[in-house]
Amino acid sequence: MPGITITGLTKRFGPVGAVMGLDLTVRPGELVALLGPSGCGKTTTLRLVAGFLAPEAGEIRVGERVLSSPAVVIPPERRRMAMIFQSYALWPHMTVAHNVAYGLRFAGVGRADRDRRVDEMLRAVQLGGYGARYPGELSGGQQQRVAVARALVVEPEILLLDEPLSNLDASLREEMRFEIRRLHERFAITTLYVTHDQAEAMVISDRVAVLRDGRVAQVGTPEELFERPRSRFVAEFVGKTNLVDAVADGAGAVTRGDLHLRVAADGTAPRTPPGSPVVVSIRPHRIALGAPAAPGADVTVLAGTVVRASYLGDAVDYQVTIDGSDVVLRVSGSAPARSRPGDRVVLTVPAAACVLLPAADAPAG
Amino acid sequence: MPDAVAAARPRRWEGLDRAAPIWVLAAAALALLILLPLGWLAYMSVRSDTGVTLAHYARVLGDPPLQKALWNTLVLALWSGLVALAIGAPMAWLTARTDLPGRRAIQHLVMASFVTPPFLGAFAWVMLAGPNAGHLNRLYRELTGAVDPLVNIFSMPGLIFVVAIYTFPYVYIMIANTLGLIASDLEDAASILGAGRFQVARTITLPMVLPAILSGFILAVLQALALFGSPAILALPAGFHTVTTQLWAFFQYPPRVELAAAFSIPLLLATALLLLVQKRLLGRRGYAAVGGKGAQRRAIRLGRWRYPALAACLLVLAAAVFLPYGILLKAAFSRAWAQPLTAENFTLENWSFTFLYSTTQSAIVNTIELGVLTACVGAALATLLAYVTNRRLIVGHQVLAFLVVAPVVIPGVVLAVALFVAYTRPPFLLYGTLWILFLAYLTKELPVGYSQSDATLRGIHPELEEAGRILGAGRFRVLRQITAPLARSGIIATWCFVFIGVIRELSASIILFTPNTKVMSVVIFDLKEEGQFGAIAVLGIFMLVMTFVTVVVMQGLLGRDVMGGRQAGGAG
Repeated sequence: MPGITITGLTKRFGPVGAVMGLDLTVRPGELVALLGPSGCGKTTTLRLVAGFLAPEAGEIRVGERVLSSPAVVIPPERRRMAMIFQSYALWPHMTVAHNVAYGLRFAGVGRADRDRRVDEMLRAVQLGGYGARYPGELSGGQQQRVAVARALVVEPEILLLDEPLSNLDASLREEMRFEIRRLHERFAITTLYVTHDQAEAMVISDRVAVLRDGRVAQVGTPEELFERPRSRFVAEFVGKTNLVDAVADGAGAVTRGDLHLRVAADGTAPRTPPGSPVVVSIRPHRIALGAPAAPGADVTVLAGTVVRASYLGDAVDYQVTIDGSDVVLRVSGSAPARSRPGDRVVLTVPAAACVLLPAADAPAG
Repeated sequence: MPDAVAAARPRRWEGLDRAAPIWVLAAAALALLILLPLGWLAYMSVRSDTGVTLAHYARVLGDPPLQKALWNTLVLALWSGLVALAIGAPMAWLTARTDLPGRRAIQHLVMASFVTPPFLGAFAWVMLAGPNAGHLNRLYRELTGAVDPLVNIFSMPGLIFVVAIYTFPYVYIMIANTLGLIASDLEDAASILGAGRFQVARTITLPMVLPAILSGFILAVLQALALFGSPAILALPAGFHTVTTQLWAFFQYPPRVELAAAFSIPLLLATALLLLVQKRLLGRRGYAAVGGKGAQRRAIRLGRWRYPALAACLLVLAAAVFLPYGILLKAAFSRAWAQPLTAENFTLENWSFTFLYSTTQSAIVNTIELGVLTACVGAALATLLAYVTNRRLIVGHQVLAFLVVAPVVIPGVVLAVALFVAYTRPPFLLYGTLWILFLAYLTKELPVGYSQSDATLRGIHPELEEAGRILGAGRFRVLRQITAPLARSGIIATWCFVFIGVIRELSASIILFTPNTKVMSVVIFDLKEEGQFGAIAVLGIFMLVMTFVTVVVMQGLLGRDVMGGRQAGGAG
């Protein structure tokens, strides 16, 4: 089971750079999501890996085989990959069984063996008995499963998925997330998964690569990205957060006017000489409403006024202006709401919840 | 990248697209097909024994009779465009937006007029409104006792009339399609803001349809410019030339090819310019895209105007379809077409004569052979080229997309002049064979075939092919197992379009035929010289039947009216 190594990958469409020197390694058997806003180059990267596009610079290797480089691009049919498309791309003139069996024709699988494997795979995606139907006779979710079966039955070295769930409705999408993860755990195929939905990426992936402007802004496990983003862009893109522009004081705190925040001094924070501008990211659910049990060096206590309280069912989203500053913090509290707009509140911000980021996102890469 | 050194590098040939030679070959064939004749045409128009000269241009543009022919073409094109507009626009509105009785039937009859070869219509009108024996004139004389004919079809107004009744469908189709796409809510949105019915029409509906009106008018003018048959049948007896008949006359003995080449260029430029204008009119703002399918439309009530409007439509259709078809049928079964169809005048001899006479027989065989051959090659080439441009398979695919539709601007007669020049000399000595006709038809029908194939392939999502590729199927296999089955009905429709275009072609054939390579349209033209109207009628009816059968097959395949608006993909 080989992994994928992408180095310095570059692809432009006319003057527009879609992928600009992208580096990424997918370990054998790992599922990595390419996550980013539209136009970040994630689909282009996937199509480069599939061999539908030729790179201008850089190369793509699977194991020790170079598949794409500016000199040579191995055509898609000789890459031993499979792909699941956003449109599913099921062939309407073939039955479900024929769709699924198509790739086996080229894998040197005998007819009897082929039928057995198609049958098994259809059962694995819970479509046993649907083989004789045509794709047009299936629901969207069932079509999706056929697409999955067609890709997995050939036992590809690499599996590519291009926003496969974006055409499903919300509840089916959630179900299919777990389904894809379950199938991945069963077959353990090295997988690259493109999505713009961060919740989807977090559920499905071993690691997530956040893309911005054709480069990898940060790659890590879902937890790493959420807890220790390394740039303002990643902090904002992955989950909700409060971003406070401030100045480092070099002594485990940052200041913004009269506001002083104690911050974690762990090794992941960028080195911040006193006086340098920084951004602090604080997740709303890490801020506690009310005073701490025992004030200490590892928390900051702030006083403020609630300006808005939005009831979200399982939680309440407060916006609190902090006294003596222009900072408005979003705080996630448990339902039902305990405070209303205009109420005075005290907030406890653990130093460990404050992640220090560079003030300006340097162009990645 | 230290470890990159250890990586297994593929050899260069492993990355090659094995199908690439096919794409390049198709592109090269196209370039040869179009650039070679046009290059020769341009060269011929400035060639002299001593070098480059503009003398041919000076002669054709300075010669008063030729100037007159240019002027006649201009008059013919503009007036028939205007008449076509005056007929086509109201009919389009009536059938698309009102409660006119029999709208579907009228649409189909306009379609019939659309596929009727204009030169057949012109023949029919010679029998209907010739000054002496024409049925309408005799009826008029009988009724009024007058000596002079009511109308003389051998005149400029007569020519304009006959051209217009077969070009108005272009205007009709453009406008009916656009009107069909404007949802009533666009007009309702104006009404709710306080616009009255007249204001809605003036500020919303008309501006949206205006590009279609202008572009339909331009299409009609273009048709009139390029026509050879009708002017040859109606203008020559009346003693005047148009550009197309003059170009043909240059090829009568002794041929003056240089003059023909030089005289072709103004016509070529005029059509190119008009098409450019039309394209720009339609290209700006996405008019045609408004609303789209499912747009709700209410039929406007005509009230007491319903039946007068119907009568007006029927009058137009009588002129374009009922009367000409009627007279052709009558002539086909009469000994003397001008006499009443009595028992002693009835005969089947025209039929036996037509199908047993060796010239007509071989012409029918030639026509069908050429039709089938051109349709097969044309559909294949058009589909390949549409595939290459749609999937952007080779460098310069944009140039291909331009070249393949370029023949639209080449009137048949001009194309024939160009082909004559290109293929009467080494390395391609094709004049005198069916192959030169094949090349003419192929070139002429490529734009239509390409547009049809292009629409079909657009309807096939590229991911359907990519899904096959990534599972291990090569480009060819995907084309054969996935694309072709999905595009099948669209490709057959392309075949039909090309076939219909070929069997009715006259304006290029009339210059390129030789005694051994006559086709049906040319024989019809010859038979007119011999006064064999019965045989003409039989051949004409035969041609019409072939056309209608093909149209019906095509409509069944595409599941829509061939002239009906949106170019839906052929794929299911």
